[in-house]
Amino acid sequence: MMDLATLFFVWGLASLTNATPLILVTLGETLGQRTGVINLGCEGAMLGGACAGFGAAMATGNPWIGMAAGAATGLLFAALHAALVLGARANQLAAGIAVWTLALGLTSYIGRAFVGGKVEALPSLAGTWLTDLPIIGKGLGQLSVATPIAVLLVLAAVWWLERTRTGLSWRVAGESALIATENGMSPTLSRLSAVLVGGCLAGLGGAVLSVDYTQTWANEITKGRGLVAVGLVIVARWNPRLVLPVCLLFGFAETAALRLPAMGVDLSSYVLSALPYAVVLVALVANQITFRPGAAMPADLKRVFQ
Amino acid sequence: MRIDSTARPWPFSAVLLTTALVFFAVAAAFFAAIGQSPLKVMTDLVLFAAGDGFSREETLLKAAPILLCALAAAIPGRLGLISVGAEGQLHLGAIFGTAMVLSMPGAPAMILLPATLMAAACGGAFWGAIPGWLRGRLAVNETITTLVMNYIGVLMVNALVFGPWRDPVNLGWPATARFPDAVDLPVLPGTRLHLGLMLGALLALACALAFSRGIRAERVRILAMNRKVGETFGLSFPRHAVVLMALGGAVAGLAGIGEAIAIQGRLQPGLSLGYGLTGFLVAWLCGHRFLPILLVSILIGGLLAAGDALQLYAKVPASSAVILQGLLFVTVLAVPGLLQRRTA
Amino acid sequence: MTGAPAEAVPMVSFRGVTKRFGTLAACDDVSFDVAGGEVVALLGENGAGKSTLMKTLYGIHPPDGGEVLIHGRPAAFARPADAMAAGIGMVFQTFSLLPALSVRDNLAMAWPGTPWYLGKRGRNVRGALAHLSQLAPGINPDARLGTLSTGEQQLVELAKVLNLDARLVILDEPTSVLTPAEAERLYGLIRAIAADGVAVVMITHKLADVEACADRVVVMRRGRVEGEGSAAALSRAEIVTLMMGRTARGDDPRGLPEKPPLPARPRPQLLLRRVSTGDQTSDARDVTLTVHRGEILGIAGVTGNGQTALAEGVAGIRDLTDGEVLLDGSVISRRRLDPRRKLHIGYVPENPRENGIVAGLSLETNLALRSIAERKGASRRMTSSEVAQRLAEYDVRPPEPARAAGTLSGGNVQKLVIARETGEPREALLMVFPTMGLDITATAFVYDRMVAAAAAGAAVLWISEELDDLLALAHRIAVIREGRIMAEWPVTPGLTRTEVGASMTGGPT
Repeated sequence: MMDLATLFFVWGLASLTNATPLILVTLGETLGQRTGVINLGCEGAMLGGACAGFGAAMATGNPWIGMAAGAATGLLFAALHAALVLGARANQLAAGIAVWTLALGLTSYIGRAFVGGKVEALPSLAGTWLTDLPIIGKGLGQLSVATPIAVLLVLAAVWWLERTRTGLSWRVAGESALIATENGMSPTLSRLSAVLVGGCLAGLGGAVLSVDYTQTWANEITKGRGLVAVGLVIVARWNPRLVLPVCLLFGFAETAALRLPAMGVDLSSYVLSALPYAVVLVALVANQITFRPGAAMPADLKRVFQ
Repeated sequence: MRIDSTARPWPFSAVLLTTALVFFAVAAAFFAAIGQSPLKVMTDLVLFAAGDGFSREETLLKAAPILLCALAAAIPGRLGLISVGAEGQLHLGAIFGTAMVLSMPGAPAMILLPATLMAAACGGAFWGAIPGWLRGRLAVNETITTLVMNYIGVLMVNALVFGPWRDPVNLGWPATARFPDAVDLPVLPGTRLHLGLMLGALLALACALAFSRGIRAERVRILAMNRKVGETFGLSFPRHAVVLMALGGAVAGLAGIGEAIAIQGRLQPGLSLGYGLTGFLVAWLCGHRFLPILLVSILIGGLLAAGDALQLYAKVPASSAVILQGLLFVTVLAVPGLLQRRTA
Repeated sequence: MTGAPAEAVPMVSFRGVTKRFGTLAACDDVSFDVAGGEVVALLGENGAGKSTLMKTLYGIHPPDGGEVLIHGRPAAFARPADAMAAGIGMVFQTFSLLPALSVRDNLAMAWPGTPWYLGKRGRNVRGALAHLSQLAPGINPDARLGTLSTGEQQLVELAKVLNLDARLVILDEPTSVLTPAEAERLYGLIRAIAADGVAVVMITHKLADVEACADRVVVMRRGRVEGEGSAAALSRAEIVTLMMGRTARGDDPRGLPEKPPLPARPRPQLLLRRVSTGDQTSDARDVTLTVHRGEILGIAGVTGNGQTALAEGVAGIRDLTDGEVLLDGSVISRRRLDPRRKLHIGYVPENPRENGIVAGLSLETNLALRSIAERKGASRRMTSSEVAQRLAEYDVRPPEPARAAGTLSGGNVQKLVIARETGEPREALLMVFPTMGLDITATAFVYDRMVAAAAAGAAVLWISEELDDLLALAHRIAVIREGRIMAEWPVTPGLTRTEVGASMTGGPT
């Protein structure tokens, strides 16, 4: 029994660590979609953040500077998406793919210099008061500080959307730009700010991935996590509160893919690597069947989705 | 109701010209930024894409999978669907086709080649029909599902060539056994141009015809433009979504087996150099019109082929081709919208 | 009723306000005043220009001529926001609210006093709820707006307008979406608002509204003020005469066609048996109707009482939750109508530009939609000379088969739809608000074709708001209210519009 509980705890912590970059990206994408903008370019923003973050951390030796650089780069790619979508009224899905393509090329070009580079990870929670907790303390000590930061950001996003006037105007913009305007708000401003904040979070998520989690740079390191995030937002029903459990689902699938072979499961690691994507797909379909998320979807997003 | 004659103040040709100029300016700025002379790189690009017979062949070889993937995006695009799934469909096509080859290696070409192509088309169609069905029946967004399924498709190829299909002779190198000669695609005599390109061109022409005239084309157009009116008359959007996504997938599947046969001669990782995404870009650039797709695929094929050559001879990084594609896509999305907006 | 406090300067004065759309004068030299604390009922039939007049004031349609004075000073608002800032609030029939948000959020988004930090459970926006808790103490501010009834939503909208310190509140057909009990409550609230010194204009076409809460009545007809007076002084009959004008039947200026004779032995052709599309008041609920060959059955009702759902159910666009549709004796519906059989029903939908044509495709293709959808459509396709002939016959202008249907004017879009739906003989014809937004000649044309289809043997089910037209052309009239058929009469000279109208609005005669 104890063994099972330990296993569960260890896997849970590993899932949380795996999921941390994804939580940040999905949270950012949730904010954007709440204002009525879908951004497939968050994959590009994440990739850019991972690349720039790694480069900055490598050059300065300070992972925190890497985080800042990652967030700033994510912001830039999000600004491009916002310019295409809000400025040039381009199709949102196509614009996201354009941003992604550009980021794919740029990071592959700039990242050449980072291959094989070394960075220092973010500090772990070891030595903080959390490790003094009974039983779970030792495990918690292995977590990176990025994980509690991501969780706090989720809480902050909930607070922002529900408790502030600006957050309210974001929600209104996502429901109807027309009614937002009728009631004296500027939906374009709401959308711009939410997309930019979302880009920051995606870039930060990328930086956490490359600097803190893998501690290496590789081409296309994000492997579609940003695209997955766009799907997970739907599964999370546009509710930042649900971002955590939904991302943990993906993180759990990744943990399984990494750990099952060591436990004697004889399956190709490539089949197992496909597991997280399959889980997302199944979650999307199950969500649609059981819930008909049309009800929770910000009404103005329906233009883009249908 | 007043019909606004000033709604489209910019003629199409002017928009096209401005977009092209902006793109060249952006591309020049990019080359300058990476320390290359824009003029030199651009002349080199043209030279390496079409300067001699070998370059032109190389261009057309690169164009084949792009063309097929562009068709794979454009066919469902005609119903208003945004499918980015060609990459995954290409890999599934390669898997199904390879399975056929491996299952009857001794069969004569007359049987093996058509059977392989059919199998590949089925594989791609299968991978396309799933998101089509999900969209039609359950309203699951097809863009997201196709993107996620791409990763699964690629990983499935890896799982097979690292696993059960790995030829022991390869000493750990992940690839299947070499395909038998019977499955070689026919080539134009004296060139390396294989059936894939011809097939792509024929399919583009066929699509151009099929989607411009005839009752089925009209049904697709009606549903794409006004689903509610179409359904008033009993046309089924879900059925059309499945069929068109499957057709597109079948075409991408052909690209997959074509690459495996003609380029590698076996199934191995690295089957596609991002052809799915490039094809999507081409289809979007051409507004899902098939004849322009034929032309633009060759242009982009030239860009990729010349990119390879430039990497060798001029030390221009390989990623430049992807960056240029990204810049092109951004320009094409930005310029027309901004022009309309300024005059609106 | 309280008398209006005497004021030297009226709150709002309309002085010769004129608004044209093309050649049509929607408002023609309209002048009247509204004082603070006064409830004015602006009465008139559909299309009389009431809503347009108020929109000229509210900055949606700036007037072409005349002026509006607020407190005696000329005011011209270019945008609703400017009108709002000047203390004018408007409650539209379609609310400017978000169903997905809570009542509190809906009020907070427009309340000028909303602070940046809303506080735990919206503690800091309590002020935005003040008016609502007076109007309707029973509404839970945490409830999602979409879960409220239409009447409650209207009160939220009204509270939102009052939150802006509106001194003039305009209500557009406020009781058309309400149940009788909700309407009673609204009357009381309107009186209470007026007692606070607010001027209220209520746009309506219902006499019950006038009797319940108006101080004064202004009657409009065809864009002009036909008369005004104190509500107490004007009799019901006088108001109706002002609204309708004294048009004697027989020399009807609208040029309606003759009602077609009923066949000697009527045979049921289109049957609806307990048809339901859901259980909202905007759904069709338990509708049973019989339409005979060659008969025109008119469905009268106030918009939004289930007409759209009924029509879409019978046209096979919407699932039926219960009941069945029979055509010529055989059931053609399970959950939806059999797609092949339903093509035998001609369907002229409401808002034909959205629901009846594919705007980007040619006139020729739009005429051929039915045969395109059929399995063996190609062989039954019209030839180009037949297309040209059909366009000429139905006077679709310009008659260019290759032109995109979306470029046609509203009247011609409707002619195109009717050409498709009645060009060949149909077993049944379903028309939904077919003359909405059309001018007199186009209206006459639509009616000609409807009558011709009935004469040719179709069973015609005709949904309309135009009572006079229904009485003139239908063989029978049924009334739909809240999705249910409330009454049904054969049209005889003894059937009056008052009787039908009373059933439509649910009030006593």
